[in-house]
Amino acid sequence: MFHWAARLIAVKDLRLRLRDKSVFIMGLLAPLGLAFIFNLTFAGALQEGSIDLRFGFVDLDGSPSSAGLSQVLGQLEAEEFLDLTTYDDRETAVAAVEDGDIQAFILVPEGFDQELATGAPKLEVLGHVDAGTATSVAAAVARQFGAGVDAARLAVVTTASILGVPPSPDLVGQLQGDPATAAFTSDITGLDAEVRQLDGVTYITAGMAVFFLFFTVQSGILGLLDEEREGTLRRLFAAPVPRSAVMAGKGLMSYILGVVALTTLVVASSLIMGAEWGHPLGVAVMILAGVAAAVSVMGVAAGVARTPEGAENLAAITAVVLGMLGGVFFPIESAGGALAALSAITPHYWFLRGLGDLAGGAPWTNALPAAGVLAGMAVVFGLIAVWVLNRRFSR
Amino acid sequence: MDRVLAVEGLKKSFGDLVAVNGVGFTVDAGETYGLLGPNGAGKTTTISMIAGLLAPDAGSVSIEGDSISVRSTRGRSHIGLVPQDLAIYPDLTCRENLVFFGRLYGLSGDRLQRRVDEVLDVIGLTDRAKDLTKEFSGGMKRRLNIGIGLLHEPRLLILDEPTVGVDPQSRIAILDAVEQLSSEGMAVLYTTHYMEEAERLCDRVGIIDEGSIKAEGTRRDLVALIGEKDRIVLTGELDGAADDVRQIPGVAEVYQSEHRLDVMVGQASSILPTILTRISQAGCSVTGVEVEEPNLEAVFLHLTGKALRD
Repeated sequence: MFHWAARLIAVKDLRLRLRDKSVFIMGLLAPLGLAFIFNLTFAGALQEGSIDLRFGFVDLDGSPSSAGLSQVLGQLEAEEFLDLTTYDDRETAVAAVEDGDIQAFILVPEGFDQELATGAPKLEVLGHVDAGTATSVAAAVARQFGAGVDAARLAVVTTASILGVPPSPDLVGQLQGDPATAAFTSDITGLDAEVRQLDGVTYITAGMAVFFLFFTVQSGILGLLDEEREGTLRRLFAAPVPRSAVMAGKGLMSYILGVVALTTLVVASSLIMGAEWGHPLGVAVMILAGVAAAVSVMGVAAGVARTPEGAENLAAITAVVLGMLGGVFFPIESAGGALAALSAITPHYWFLRGLGDLAGGAPWTNALPAAGVLAGMAVVFGLIAVWVLNRRFSR
Repeated sequence: MDRVLAVEGLKKSFGDLVAVNGVGFTVDAGETYGLLGPNGAGKTTTISMIAGLLAPDAGSVSIEGDSISVRSTRGRSHIGLVPQDLAIYPDLTCRENLVFFGRLYGLSGDRLQRRVDEVLDVIGLTDRAKDLTKEFSGGMKRRLNIGIGLLHEPRLLILDEPTVGVDPQSRIAILDAVEQLSSEGMAVLYTTHYMEEAERLCDRVGIIDEGSIKAEGTRRDLVALIGEKDRIVLTGELDGAADDVRQIPGVAEVYQSEHRLDVMVGQASSILPTILTRISQAGCSVTGVEVEEPNLEAVFLHLTGKALRD
């Protein structure tokens, strides 16, 4: 009886939502439209390799250390993060900057290797006044390398932060396997777990998708409160079906809406905007787990508020705050500290992270850890939602 | 009589507010029981507990012998609830509303379609079955609201203020339908604050105020409870008739005024012929007769010290 009643209520609600067309607006048009606009606005800056980084390198030291820096830069070039030109002397490099052939160069002065031992090594970075981003990247690489502390790792992180793309596992593997870069291999594997492995277009689309997902499922689960306000909930609860079946029906309807909306977005963004989501099975797992978590979280919001209007406001605030914390607009976890910890408690973070784990042709099983966290959230918040909703409707 | 509903000692408080305090009554098959009281008297809270929507703090409800509780669905299929609010979906058609709720109550297949058609006929909406209910008038929505409660042929129909805000024509249709259902053997629990509806429909009435039933019985029982008399108002050439009428057994009081005699009696229908005969014998003539029975409004006023619409 439970399943039959829940399905009956879900089908009725789906029919109503399709009739009032709100599902199309909140579930499909809004996220797809925003992602499309963002894509048009930032596409140039977010496509992998599309930032035009043209660096020069001048090695006046000729030491193993300067060779290490040269190798790191060469590997970044091989990964198409930048174009690298080597110059024999400073003057030629300066001229190249002035002519616009390169945007910035890093110079390893003579005696650098020896100064490493004395603790005061210096690298020179010179960039064109109109190439601030490129100069910043070059300066970051130089500064960290010169300090001798995880130089290449931090340079890569800096590069990734600005490009919006991380190094691929191949690059990481190369760096790890290279004795010349052994000094910064200890933490570099951590980068593989960074969420920002998605290309820019996919990241933005995924962010908008999970952001609007919460509004999509909100419209379904808050239907319980609409029915309470309109009086039909009394009739549903008076029927010879368990109350939990009524709530499950609402949740099921929200779940179906969310899955359909997200799936449509994934397909549409792939076809229209060239988004690369990763292994379809992994993406499906992420969608199923992400929607479940969203439904549960919105269920809690619906049960906590005193009035239907209050619940709508609370649900909207919850969706926006969790979205911002979860990094749908910008990767707040990169701020570190408390904000990073907060980010990690949001479904949005884990949804984006799971999709990130699928990027670059990774197997579908890469999504399982993040999907597991989302499923756990779905269970925990789901139980809380049932409890608060039961409490609310028994008053 | 076949007992359908038994309510005993229902109590419910919301914080410091005692909404229902020891309410108990029974309703038999074919009987219409009215809960008559003003807004806030505890009628809807009582109904909510009977329908299993609200857990009582104390007391019990059984329908057809099945105990009703919030946590169990047992016995609920015996109940047809017609809430005070319009519990219908405006973006579904009339038929879709009926089919959905019919299925929720376990109807399916041919039986469901047959019942939907029958109910559409009863509520007079067959020709509007395919229209979205948001296009309906208030009266039509009310009728559909009642129809949904009838779909599964419940043993007990609970109507919570079903005529609030409806036009006179729909009101008459609703009252006629309730009378018809009762005559067919359905037990009806009817809440209202309209004295006229309670008097017309209800075999027995429970007068409820401040969460408790102040008095219960048939209309005549209740009136007798407070000692009210029928008033016979006679008009015509009646000078000198008062003394003769006053001597008739059963006449309590007589008030004489110009061309008018007010006679207070226990039961007007049994004594009126005698009064008319005595007046005729006294050489007086009667041009008009009006009988005013004591009503539940007066009873309510007597029991609670306030009017029903306060």
